[in-house]
Amino acid sequence: MNRYVLKFYKDGYVKYTSHLDLLRIFKRSFKKTGLALQYSQGFNPHPKMGFAQPLSLGYSSKCELIEFETAENHDPADILQKMKDVLPEGLEPVSCVRFESNIKSLAGEADSAEYVVWAPLPESAAADWNNDVLTGKISDYLAQTEITAMKRQKKTKKLAPVDIRKMIRGMQGMVVTDVEGRKALMLNLHLDCGSTSNLSPELVISTFLPFCSLDIERYDVEVERKTLKFVKNLQF
Amino acid sequence: MNYTEKLNQLLKRVEKPGRYIGGEINSVKKNPADVDARFAFCFPDLYEIGMSYLGMQILYKTLNDREKIYCERVFAPGVDMEALMREENMPLMTLETKTPLGEMDFVGFTLQYEMSYTTVLNMMDLAQLPLKAADRAASEKEYPLVVAGGPCALNPEPLADFIDMFFIGDGEVVLPAVVELYGECRKKGMSREEFYREACKMDGVYIPSLYDVTYNEDGTIKELCKLYDWAPMPVRRAIIENIEELPFPTNPIVPFVEAVHDRSVVETFRGCTRGCRFCQAGMIYRPVRERSREKIMQLAMDNLHNTGNDELSLLSLSTSDYSQFEELCNELIPACKRENVSLSLPSLRIDKFAFDVLNKIQEYRKSGLTYAPEAGTQRLRDVINKGVTEADIYKSIEQALELGWTNIKLYFMIGLPTETDEDLDGIAEIARNIVDLNYKINGRKGGRFNVTVSVSNFVPKANTPFQWESQNTAEEFARKHNYLTDKLRMKHVTFNYHDNATSSFEAVFARGDRRCSELLLAAFRNGCKLDSWTEHFKPEGWEKAFADSRINRSFYTERKREFDEVLPWDIIDSGVSKKFLKLEAERAYNETTTHDCRHGCVGCGINRYVKCEMEGTL
Repeated sequence: MNRYVLKFYKDGYVKYTSHLDLLRIFKRSFKKTGLALQYSQGFNPHPKMGFAQPLSLGYSSKCELIEFETAENHDPADILQKMKDVLPEGLEPVSCVRFESNIKSLAGEADSAEYVVWAPLPESAAADWNNDVLTGKISDYLAQTEITAMKRQKKTKKLAPVDIRKMIRGMQGMVVTDVEGRKALMLNLHLDCGSTSNLSPELVISTFLPFCSLDIERYDVEVERKTLKFVKNLQF
Repeated sequence: MNYTEKLNQLLKRVEKPGRYIGGEINSVKKNPADVDARFAFCFPDLYEIGMSYLGMQILYKTLNDREKIYCERVFAPGVDMEALMREENMPLMTLETKTPLGEMDFVGFTLQYEMSYTTVLNMMDLAQLPLKAADRAASEKEYPLVVAGGPCALNPEPLADFIDMFFIGDGEVVLPAVVELYGECRKKGMSREEFYREACKMDGVYIPSLYDVTYNEDGTIKELCKLYDWAPMPVRRAIIENIEELPFPTNPIVPFVEAVHDRSVVETFRGCTRGCRFCQAGMIYRPVRERSREKIMQLAMDNLHNTGNDELSLLSLSTSDYSQFEELCNELIPACKRENVSLSLPSLRIDKFAFDVLNKIQEYRKSGLTYAPEAGTQRLRDVINKGVTEADIYKSIEQALELGWTNIKLYFMIGLPTETDEDLDGIAEIARNIVDLNYKINGRKGGRFNVTVSVSNFVPKANTPFQWESQNTAEEFARKHNYLTDKLRMKHVTFNYHDNATSSFEAVFARGDRRCSELLLAAFRNGCKLDSWTEHFKPEGWEKAFADSRINRSFYTERKREFDEVLPWDIIDSGVSKKFLKLEAERAYNETTTHDCRHGCVGCGINRYVKCEMEGTL
C-alpha cells in the first residue's frame, strides 16, 4: 500500500476556499503532478484522498493534513517537491511522510486541535486591557459550570443552545500590540476536534467576547489552526 | 484602511468568497510597473459563469503572451458582495492585483448575451466610472478606455453611448494590436483622437463616437453617417483566415470555486456551413476554419496535463461536422480512457457513427440524448432551413431506445416566421410518436422513460436572414405555451418553456439602435442586473424602464422591417452580404431550402474577403 500524509499551510487569500473546493484543487494538483492516485473500486471510482479535518472557511492553518494513496510507490520527498511546484500560492506543502498504518482514516483518529484567535480591541476599550485582566477573564470564563453557546443544527438549520464547557481543553491569552499600535487579544484555544466530540472556535469567540463585554465584529477576528492532535499519538 | 484590508473583511461576510480572491492555478502574475498597458477583462456575470467561458481564457492568454501587456480578470460580484462594496464605497477591482478598474488602461467587456447589458452598466458603476462615453471624455479626470467585443457586438448600437470602442469579430489579432498601439501612442504623447485614427484602420474596430445616426419621423433610421472622413464605413468584421497557429490556452486558469463547466475545452473549428436561417452564430462566424487533428490532439493533451482536469470537451458550432471527426474520435476516446478523463461531445448530429461514439463514452451512465428539430413540421423546418427530416429523427431515436437510452430531450423554437398552430401540433406529434416508439421497442411496461420537450421563444437576430422579421407578442407566446401545455399532456412527456419577458427584452437589444441606450440606463437605474438569473430578474424594473425612457417596445420586437429599411447594424459588415440574407429570407417564405455549403458555394459573400476552405468539399 502506497499511503502518504502531506502536511501543508493554508494562508492568504486561499483561506477563502471552501473544504469542497480545496478537495477539487488537490484532485487537480495531483493529476497535474502526474502522481497517479489509487482509485476506489466500484461503480463510481474516485481517488483515495481525504483531509484529516475540514477547516472552516476563512481560517488559516499551519497544520493541514491530507492523506492519499498512490497507484505506484514514490519517494515522499519527490511527492513533496512535485506538490510544491503545482499548488497555488497560499497552499504550502511542508512535509510528506509515508503512512503505513491499519487505521481506516486520519479523520477517524483526530482528537483535538489548537487554534490562535486574534481579535482587535475597539479603541474605546483598548486602555482597559492588559495581560492580567485577560488572564482573569479567561479563568472566570472557564470557571463557569456551563457555557451556553448557540449552535446551528445541521438538519433543522435552527439555532439551539449547547454547553461547550467540557469541550474546551485549555485556553490562554495575551494582549498584543501590532506595528501600528493597535491592541488586540490573542487567544490560544485547545478544543475537542474529532468525530466523537468537536467544538468550533466560533462558539468560543461568540461566547467569550460578550462575556468580556467586548463588541468586536466577527469579520475583524482572524483564526488560525496551529496543531491537530490524534488519539493514537500520531504526529505529522 | 486600504482596499485589500477592507476586502479581507468583506470576504468574511459574503457567500462563496473564493469568487473574489484570484491566485488560481495558471493565473498570470506580472508586475504592473513592467508593462505598457493594463487590460481588465470583464465578464458581466458571476465568476462561476465567466470562468466557464473559453473566449476569456483565449484572450487572457493572447494578451498576457505579450510581454508589455498585463491582462487581469473581473467578474460581476454576487448581490451580497455588491451591497457591501457599495456600503463600504469599495470600487470594483481586478482579481489578479486587486487594482480598481479606474486605474486600468482598458476596461473590456465581453458581450455574450443581451441580457447581460444591465450588468455591464452595473459593473461600470461599481468601478466608479461615468457610464456614458461622452461624460468620461468630457471629464478632466482620465478614465480607462471602455471597450467591448463578442457576438453581441455585431449589433453594437444599444451600447454605443457607453462604450468607447467595439471589437467586431475574431479578437486574437486585433485586440492585442490595439492595446499595444495604445501603449505606443501614449508613450509618444498622442491624443485620444490620433489613437482612434490609427486604431480604426484595423478591421473590426468600431468607435461609435466617430458616427452619427439620424431618424425619420416614423422612428426608422434615416441615415448612418460618419463624422470624420477617415472613419471606415462600414466597419468590416475582423476575420482570421487560419486559426491553426492562433494562441490557444493549454494552461487555462483552473477556477477555485466550481464553475458551471469545470473542464478542459478545445475549439475544433470556428463557423458553420449548415445555414439555419434563425441562427446568428451560423452567420457571424463564417467561414468554417478548422484546426488540424494533430493540433487538436496536442492541445487537448497539453491542456489536461496542465490543469489536472478530469473532463474534456470539444467546442464548435456542430461537433460532428469536423471534417475528420471519425479519425479524431478514434484517437481521442482511447487517449481519454488512458488518462482517466471523461469526454463530452456537445451538439452531435446523431448518425450511426455518433451512436458508436456515444456508446463508447457513456458506457455505464447514459446521460440522455438531446435532439433539436427546432420546428414541429417539415414545412417549418424547411422555412428555417434546418436540414433534418422526421425520418432522420425517428430512425436515430429508435436506435437510441434499442441501445438503452431512457431520456430523450427535444428542443424547439416557437414564434418562428410563418408558424401556425399546425406547426405546434407537429411538436406534440413528434413527442407522441417517440413515446409510441418506446412502447414498440420496450413494451408497455418498458420501465423508466421520459421525453422532455423544451421550447424557447424565437428572437430575431441581427445579421441573419430573419433580421427583418416580427417577434410574437408576449400574449401570443403565452397562448402558444398554453396550447402546447394542453397538447403535451401525455404520459412520459415533460414540457418546459422559457420566460416570455426576457425574450422580449432580449429582442429589443438584439435589433436595437442607439436610442435603446436610454432604456438600458433606465433599467439599470431601476435596479435591473444579472437579468439571466431568475432570482435576480426584475420584470417590473424593466416595465418601468420602458415608460421612463419612452421606448416603444413593439417598434423593436413586433414590427416587421422592410427590406430597404436602414438597419442599425448596417454600420457593421459581418462578411455575409445583405443580398444573400434577403435571398435567404425570400427562400424561407417559399419554403425552399438551401444546401449546406460544403456541397457547393451558396454565395453568402464571405469569400469576397477570405478563402472558404470547406466550400464544396462534400
